[in-house]
Amino acid sequence: MEQRLANTWRFTVNERKFIETALLSDLRVDGRRPFDYRNLTVNFGKEDGSAEVQMGHTHVMGFVTAQLVQPYRDRPNEGSLSIFTEFSPMGDPSFEPGRPGESAVELGRVVDRGLRESRAVDTESLCVLPGRWVWAIRIDLHILDNGGNLLDAANIAALAALMTFRRPECSLGGEDGQEVIVHPPEEKEPLPLILHHLPIAVTFAFFANENSVAIDPTHHEEAVMGGRMTTTLNANGDICAIQKAGGEGVLQSVIMQCLRIASVKAGDITEKIKKAVDSFNTHTALKKIKRHPSSIPMDVDGADSKLREKQKSLVDKKATIPCPSENVVRETKSLDQ
Amino acid sequence: MEFVSPEGLRLDGRRPTEMRQIRAELGAVAKADGSAVFEMGNTKVVAAVYGPREVQNRSQQLSDQALVRCEYSMANFSTGDRMRKPKGDRRSTEISLVIRQTMEACIMTHLMPRSQIDIFVQVLQADGGTRSACINAATLALADAGIPMHDLVTSCSAGYLNSTPLLDLNYVEDSARGPDVTVGILPKLDKVTLLQRISCRLCMTDTTGEYKGIRISTRWINYNEG
Amino acid sequence: MAKEQPGSPASFVDQLVVPGDVVLDLSNMANQTIKLGSGLRQESDAISVTKAGKFRLSKPNKYWVESSQKRYVPCLGDSILGIVVDSKADNFLVDIKGPALAFLPVLAFEGGTRRNIPKFEAGTLLYVRVVKANPGMNAELSCTDASGKAAEFGPLKDGYMFECSTGLSRTLLSSPPCPVLEALGKKISFEVAVGLNGRVWVNAASPSTVIITANAIMKSESLSVQSDLNLYAWMEDICSSCGVVYGDTQTPAIQPSIW
Repeated sequence: MEQRLANTWRFTVNERKFIETALLSDLRVDGRRPFDYRNLTVNFGKEDGSAEVQMGHTHVMGFVTAQLVQPYRDRPNEGSLSIFTEFSPMGDPSFEPGRPGESAVELGRVVDRGLRESRAVDTESLCVLPGRWVWAIRIDLHILDNGGNLLDAANIAALAALMTFRRPECSLGGEDGQEVIVHPPEEKEPLPLILHHLPIAVTFAFFANENSVAIDPTHHEEAVMGGRMTTTLNANGDICAIQKAGGEGVLQSVIMQCLRIASVKAGDITEKIKKAVDSFNTHTALKKIKRHPSSIPMDVDGADSKLREKQKSLVDKKATIPCPSENVVRETKSLDQ
Repeated sequence: MEFVSPEGLRLDGRRPTEMRQIRAELGAVAKADGSAVFEMGNTKVVAAVYGPREVQNRSQQLSDQALVRCEYSMANFSTGDRMRKPKGDRRSTEISLVIRQTMEACIMTHLMPRSQIDIFVQVLQADGGTRSACINAATLALADAGIPMHDLVTSCSAGYLNSTPLLDLNYVEDSARGPDVTVGILPKLDKVTLLQRISCRLCMTDTTGEYKGIRISTRWINYNEG
Repeated sequence: MAKEQPGSPASFVDQLVVPGDVVLDLSNMANQTIKLGSGLRQESDAISVTKAGKFRLSKPNKYWVESSQKRYVPCLGDSILGIVVDSKADNFLVDIKGPALAFLPVLAFEGGTRRNIPKFEAGTLLYVRVVKANPGMNAELSCTDASGKAAEFGPLKDGYMFECSTGLSRTLLSSPPCPVLEALGKKISFEVAVGLNGRVWVNAASPSTVIITANAIMKSESLSVQSDLNLYAWMEDICSSCGVVYGDTQTPAIQPSIW
């Protein structure tokens, strides 16, 4: 039992008291004011659909992948969107390996609600063949470091990953027009997802004394706070979801004030994400241009084009196989990798 | 689909800001220290409270406050299509967490250090607003068990369909995929403790209408309690 | 590198060494007595390094590796900051960022008897001294100095505690005083307690001063250039990031009391 006590994170009475008293004079331990958001950086991986978000010490990674599957029976012409969270003990010793804990489930559900219930992703455009094949989009959120307010960071990571994700284009072929041909990225430019709007999660922490409120709580503040509210809004000020799961009671006026602040922050964050995505897109576009320089030595070019032809014929062979499910699925898997 | 008729009546004949009939019964589970059955129209929920009692898992014991645990489940026969659902799916894990945190906020946990309070909530019939019904039932069961609390949490849902705000949605209205909100308030302190909004693009609307309805429900509960 | 010139300690002193480096060759220095500190290991005639850090020599014959870690390994005589986790009949269990909890006997206070056992709730911050540190055993702490006086030891009230690396806390305690603390002390007055286990407690009259001081100390971890000019610019930077103008505080400039 002592061993167990030695491995958990400690919090002193002094810190607890100081965080609360500092908030009374509108100060926070990291030098922010109560309604300042932490610096946000969004980075992208080499592949499409991977994003890394850093907010202070919080570090979250989002990956988006897609797969051709059969649609749900009640929505035959809609693709699906699912969110998986991974809280590895690496990010915080209090996360236990194995089954996702309560906080992991809540985070996944709140991000899911913000994205899905507000219909941010156009799922109808993910339909390939109604009732037979639709794209299932899967978002994996990995918590790499827990510096507080994982929810907002995870939400931003999910959005940034969705915005840079490209799914392979596919068309219908075969005799009856029922076969799905998935075009490899070399043949046809992969397609981005259609996002109607960006629901941004903004979290507020409520403290027991004197109704203090702070936006974007750090790990330490989360240990002190009495309650939390996550509001998901887009840049237009539409409220997509709110989650205040119990905890400290709050006056109605405070909630309305929080919503107003959140809508401003949502605008700022949207701006930042868009800027990051734009620079990523131009970067990848530039890289593509560089990949095929005009002055390639003849022999190399020849080998290359031969190879390319070979690949192409291979791809054609694959693509003309009629539609049995395994083939298509296997092919998309290879594209995922 | 039309959810509000031109005469201003809903599918089940209610007016937009009218609640369904509420019925509460205390002491429904003999073995439990406190229990309650709560009905909102056709939604029926039973809650049982055990505790404060000795902490079962000593490693979870808190030296300055009581440990509150909650388990939410839905009976297999509670919904229209009867199917066996795996225990501990994401939805019920989340609702358990929500109920636990809501109750934790109003129980005076610091009065019962090194003890544990278990709340079990089961949905017997689901017809929309199960979340609210569960919270109301849990509050009553806690009160029945004589656990010290700051206030009785009361909860109700509301939605927005056919450009009309509707109070206390039933299943049909709930599954219309319109915006809806579940509110839990501490009526005496006039504070909001639970707020969940699931919606597609709803502009900031005033929630006073919803609060009015919840006040009514509070009065009802107080009445039943007395 | 290690193999090229072993046995010439001067070549390694104040250099960065990594585990496996052979820093001393005893065969070359047969008639010397040397004392080895932490991070060094003897393998017959070779003294090799077990921790990455700076190789230090205190003349004439004490050698050790100075490293900076987040974890703390209890060492006899260190003054550290501990957090009370639990209290038992004979001991308080105290977290010291070490491999195991440390024991603070309930009688290890000035004039401590069975009658006047102090009461600490979980989470109380204590400034304590390590009096027993044997490997494989829980370290033992004391709230008195060697002569049994309370000195500065005991619970710390209010203020703010943050964690840093053990290396930084050693720098803060070094003499001559650490330039960051000195620069801060010229402008603002505050109290600071530094534990060698990488915990620092700061207190001042106003929360804003505490926040500035804490942030300045935390950020000085990565500070290498410490010329005065840079330091002032850097300090202003920190203050502005905390929303305060440096030198704006009205308190008289007195030296910080460094424990």
